[in-house]
Amino acid sequence: MLATIVRKEFTEMMRDGRFRSSAAITMALLLGAFALGWQHYSEVNAQHEAARKSTRQDWLHQGDKNPHSAAHYGVYAFKPKMPLSLVDHGVDPYVGVASWLEAHKQNEFRFKPAQDATAIQRLGEMTGATVLQLLIPMLIVLLTFPAFSSEREQGTLRQLLSLGVRPAQLAWGKALGIALALSVLLVPATLLGSAALALSADQGAMAASWPRAAIMALGYLAYFAFFVAISLAVSAVAPSSRFALVALLGVWIFNGLVVPKAVSDIARLLHPTPSAMEFARQIEHDIENGINGHDTTDQRAEELKQRLLKQYNVDSVEKLPVNFNGIRMQEGEEHGNDVFDKHYTALWQTFERQRQVHELAALAAPVLAVRSLSMSMAGTDFAQHAHFAKAAEEYRRVLNRKMNLEIAHHQKPDDSGFTRGEDFWATMPDFQYTAPDLAWILSRQRLSLALLAGWMVASLVAMAAAAGKMRV
Amino acid sequence: MLFNIIRNDWRNLRADRSLWIIGALLAVLIGYGVHNGGAWVRFQQDTLTQAAEEEAGRLTLIKTSIESANAGRANPPSWRDPRNPFAVGNTQAAHYVSMPPAPLAALAVGQSDLLPYYFKLSLKSRDTLLGNDEIENPVHLLSGRFDLAFVIIYLFPLLVLALSYNLISSEKEDGTLAMTLSQPVRLGTLAWGKAGFRALFILALSTLISLAGTLASGVNLSAAGASPRFLLWVAVVAAYGAFWFAAAVAVNALGRSSATNAIALAGLWLGFVLLIPALLNVTVKALHPVPSRVELIQAMRVASDDITRQRSQLMAKYLEDHPEFAAATDDSMAQYAIRTAAILDELDRRVQPVLATFDEQLTLQQAMVDRYRFLSPAILVQSALYDLAGTNLYRYRHFLHLTEQFHAAWRTHFEPLIARNVRLTPAHINSLPRFHFQEEPFQAVFTRTTAALAGLGLSALLAAALSAWWLRRYPVAA
Repeated sequence: MLATIVRKEFTEMMRDGRFRSSAAITMALLLGAFALGWQHYSEVNAQHEAARKSTRQDWLHQGDKNPHSAAHYGVYAFKPKMPLSLVDHGVDPYVGVASWLEAHKQNEFRFKPAQDATAIQRLGEMTGATVLQLLIPMLIVLLTFPAFSSEREQGTLRQLLSLGVRPAQLAWGKALGIALALSVLLVPATLLGSAALALSADQGAMAASWPRAAIMALGYLAYFAFFVAISLAVSAVAPSSRFALVALLGVWIFNGLVVPKAVSDIARLLHPTPSAMEFARQIEHDIENGINGHDTTDQRAEELKQRLLKQYNVDSVEKLPVNFNGIRMQEGEEHGNDVFDKHYTALWQTFERQRQVHELAALAAPVLAVRSLSMSMAGTDFAQHAHFAKAAEEYRRVLNRKMNLEIAHHQKPDDSGFTRGEDFWATMPDFQYTAPDLAWILSRQRLSLALLAGWMVASLVAMAAAAGKMRV
Repeated sequence: MLFNIIRNDWRNLRADRSLWIIGALLAVLIGYGVHNGGAWVRFQQDTLTQAAEEEAGRLTLIKTSIESANAGRANPPSWRDPRNPFAVGNTQAAHYVSMPPAPLAALAVGQSDLLPYYFKLSLKSRDTLLGNDEIENPVHLLSGRFDLAFVIIYLFPLLVLALSYNLISSEKEDGTLAMTLSQPVRLGTLAWGKAGFRALFILALSTLISLAGTLASGVNLSAAGASPRFLLWVAVVAAYGAFWFAAAVAVNALGRSSATNAIALAGLWLGFVLLIPALLNVTVKALHPVPSRVELIQAMRVASDDITRQRSQLMAKYLEDHPEFAAATDDSMAQYAIRTAAILDELDRRVQPVLATFDEQLTLQQAMVDRYRFLSPAILVQSALYDLAGTNLYRYRHFLHLTEQFHAAWRTHFEPLIARNVRLTPAHINSLPRFHFQEEPFQAVFTRTTAALAGLGLSALLAAALSAWWLRRYPVAA
């Protein structure tokens, strides 16, 4: 019996001109978005790869100079893109593309791609994520809202049930029929998306991408299942098709547009971030006065001097076996690192709390759960940006330490022409970034995964219950 | 007769409970949107006040340090000497140039969450201005803010459609249409009576939305340029409402069922509000791609390396990084200052063409968006509202332009002082150049927004003409 219902629904849908045209449009948009995403990914990746090599060459061939000058010259860190970012750009347009790793200072990532765009960017971007999170649910709503209500209006519902079909069975049959019809759209799109993925990435990145792609796909399937089930449930209990449609459009708008925006403002209200000016001023203040507020730079230098003089049992800085400036600069770096750690940790904790508000808000709108999961699998969420930023900062610290210690141990106090050259620059290994593995990412998505699964199950239960209570 | 129709319609509307629920919901959304916009404006204002205070304190400190150095109470190293014009112009007296929020800024956050609204300006090269972003969680930038403009662009059309998608079709479905038309009344009179009344209702609603929003956000309508902007704002919202209403009547006039009307209108909404903007965005970016910032970074590095190499005596470079290590006499410090100023000039000259390409491409993008915004009423409304609120690219670029002029003036002011190695006095500090933001001429805003307004009006008229045309052949019998 179930098979008959599924077949009937599927056939009916495939013969429906509205389904064919809207599915064709959605498919075209999805494939177009994948193609654009693929092009963007390959372009950006090539640029970053070239820039990465070039910043290393610049470092190696910067000429003979004092190691501290070399630290000031520094290197740039460019965040690599993951292949799956072709599906979901996530926050990538809204975070800077590069950070300058120089002496004394942890720099922000500069140049947000969205700043080089017009305001229509804010109305919507044609990405795979937009199609999957907004358009396909709309398609589902438009196809599914009359499922029960129009059968009732046409009088076929009474006939059907008189044949002994159980309402729940009917609901499952319809759901599967719609799912089958959707798969006509989704399966080719997934295959072509996978082909694009296979074309764009090298072996290593590929192997890491498949499980992520699979999880992402499962996430979207659960999200679609929610929309199918909720549409059927509403259709079953709605007094009319018209009512069902209006109610479901309301759900769609609330879920896709209202909640994501509204939550941003709530999150900021609950966990405000400091202004950039305040943030910079506090860092400056702590660097100058010490984290505890009463160790000024001059006092710290004096203390260091006394400590070293005592340690080496000499009476002047010139007689020290180490270069005082090198030691002093490294102490300064380490003090700066503590200050940066304190403030960036606090800022990123605030971001993390804001993220938790977004995550919890998925209780009101499942799109937030699927969006979070999708971005994390695509490697375009903030957590992975921060992961890269931390790795870059770590590299900056190692580099500075190496330069300062070279001065400390090899520069004579009176040797103002002390230099190092390419041989020494080459002993600083290139910046190699290892992206977090799947377990790391998944551990941050537990709540989103649970809420997504919860929404799916709850909507299916609601569907079965609504079918049972259906007015005939 | 017309009066009867209107009165009857009003009674119907009043009796419809869902309308009041929607109305209440709308009031909540407006309140929330305006609150958010207002909070953001206050945040910006507070930051700018703090900046001004911090700067004033810094300048006072410079003056007292000059006096104590002159009196011999302090002996700062020359790179930190408040009497050294390079030290003052390059760091100590760095000046905040700022673009305060425009009078209606609380109504539309627009691009202002993404673009800087102040710069800390000094003798340093112009590219150092580029990274001055406000701190914001990127996820929030991705979602965008919930402001009044969002309510108007996305939700207001839905409210209009909810009021009008079954304007005529429901009469037909309830069987009242044939009955009413059996009275001595023509379909045209009935349709236009109902439509005209609701149009007035929607007009009143749109004015109310804007007015309530404006008052609730504490916008000062007596501020310079505020009231003409506000009137244009109301006109834009009303024209947008009129367009959606006329579209609903047109769809009704085709004589399909209420559910079909709803689908058609939802499709139109999706197309205008989501799809066309997204497709236009993609097209614009593909036709006028902005060069890669990653390549800009490389170009700047090459330029500065070149410049460095031109006079790369090792000692000089070392001193440049840490002049405090050398037993700097005033003369060598002056040389250092002059050389650095020259390098900064040269760097700006080299980087300028690269930065200009970004500017040119973005100008082309904006021009294309301006040309094709007539494809979608939603884009027209967005461009007009952001423009009136002063949170769009145009005002930002105007600010950028002023900043660049001021940067040049700042350099012109300091270069002779540096070259002649003048020892600064408190009087010098009192007469530093100050930046005053000059609002973009209203004429420009007016031209752009009235073009959008005309586009909206035309779309509404076109939809109304279609409705009139289709209504004449309306099938009254099912």
